[in-house]
Amino acid sequence: MPIVQYGHHQVHYELTGDPGQPVITFLNGLTQNANLWKSYAEYFVPRGYRVLAYDMLGQGRSSKPVIDIKLAMHADMLDSLLEQLGIEKTHLASISFGGIIALDFAIRYGHRLHSLTAMSTFAELTPQLDLLGAVMLQGLADAGLPYLQSMLYPMNMSSAWIAANRERIPAMKRAGYIGNDGYAMQNLMESFVEFQPLTPELHKIKVPTLIMNGEFDFFTPRECHEVIRSKVKNSRLLIMQHAYHAFTLEMPAVTMRQLEVFLDQVTAGTWQGDQSVWIASDDPTAETQWLPCAGDWMRAVHIGTATPASTPARRKSPTRKKTT
Amino acid sequence: MIDPALYDLARDRIAANGFTPEIQTKITLLLCTAKNGNLMFHSSVQWMQNLNVVQQFILSQYSRELEAVTLLSRTTQWSKDPALALEGSRIVAPLMMAWGQIMLPPGPMLNPQATYRGISLGHAQLARIRLTPVIPDNADPLNPFVVALQRIEQENGRMLQTQIRLLKNIGTEIPIEEREALVEQDQELVDSVFSQFLSWLAAG
Repeated sequence: MPIVQYGHHQVHYELTGDPGQPVITFLNGLTQNANLWKSYAEYFVPRGYRVLAYDMLGQGRSSKPVIDIKLAMHADMLDSLLEQLGIEKTHLASISFGGIIALDFAIRYGHRLHSLTAMSTFAELTPQLDLLGAVMLQGLADAGLPYLQSMLYPMNMSSAWIAANRERIPAMKRAGYIGNDGYAMQNLMESFVEFQPLTPELHKIKVPTLIMNGEFDFFTPRECHEVIRSKVKNSRLLIMQHAYHAFTLEMPAVTMRQLEVFLDQVTAGTWQGDQSVWIASDDPTAETQWLPCAGDWMRAVHIGTATPASTPARRKSPTRKKTT
Repeated sequence: MIDPALYDLARDRIAANGFTPEIQTKITLLLCTAKNGNLMFHSSVQWMQNLNVVQQFILSQYSRELEAVTLLSRTTQWSKDPALALEGSRIVAPLMMAWGQIMLPPGPMLNPQATYRGISLGHAQLARIRLTPVIPDNADPLNPFVVALQRIEQENGRMLQTQIRLLKNIGTEIPIEEREALVEQDQELVDSVFSQFLSWLAAG
């Protein structure tokens, strides 16, 4: 895996595809690494893109600072990486922790972007996220990295995925334990201590922006994505059916198809950033991929109008004798 | 960075032959050398001036390293082969030399650079020397040596918390970039030793 230097840190990256083609850069979630985008590279390179994935500082094979790493440093480092690779502009796709970095990058380095895709992420810590983050950090510090890994599987994946992969999970956890370092992850999480909400700056994002949120993502629920949608004018919110937090891993074929539709629109100049809300088809081969969202996308249930016909049938009451 | 394949090779070897006295001896030689170095360092700095509340943490680290060494030494089925000790000493020599440099006169108690280096090297050892990934799935979970390895690794995670706090918060005049470079250099040192060790473990 090639390396670039950022200060005294090393950054490992993978760049595939032919020079001169438009670049898509993928940003990892907290416990992920560049290898997890390999299938995305295999999908997008034959479609005429170059794919750049890298381990952020604290991840995989890149340097893992212990003492100090500011959240803003990640966006600065991405700028440096693009500079060193001679990439003037890129499409940027990101998930979860990487989504925050991508938002920060789009705010401060928007001139380097063709487009932005922010998946399963947030611009500010809601009270719920704040407490969740504190619990994750406490778990990592008190019980260790294996505990955090065990906690993240049910938070990120659906029951169906867990049931189908139950036998593989111990080996996957072991690989994650070897590839990650608890202290580096802790340092990344502690960088949130000084995190300032990005919400007041979101209006500075001018590039086409696709916000993607899993239908059942309870880690970063709809309200997190709604903040981004409501502040970024050139955006659309796309809800991924049946998806949880880590849908890039759980349903890569559907995710890649949605990204492709978005990138095609941006490239063709047909993209309309109108802050509208859409539902992604769960069939990547379907002719129509984005379906309009009817009703209140902030709700999990849709309340119908009460009519006699729609009233649920009641059980028969015991027959009562008429009294005179 | 340690090649993940080295863990797989070592684990496959143990899965095939079990935790033989040779395997146990190799692991104990490595862990005890690392922990004795950190133990010696903490023993030396525990009476530094103005430690205040940190002194308790230093003493705690010292005691937990002592516990780990004792637990491992008494649960290990030792091999009688002296060649293992010789080869083990060769592999861990860079760690012993690094600890030796830290302990050179005037010693870490009077040398702030050596103090920081000691904390950094202790951190690298606790963070990077991880043996639970070499425990095969078919290992007896009640095997005393397996139980000891798992307990030590879990405790290493807790000890790491103290090392992280010390690295981040200890008063020092060393610039932050220099400190990070020092930490990275120690990680590379430990990674190199541990990679060699895993190859040795896999070699049988």
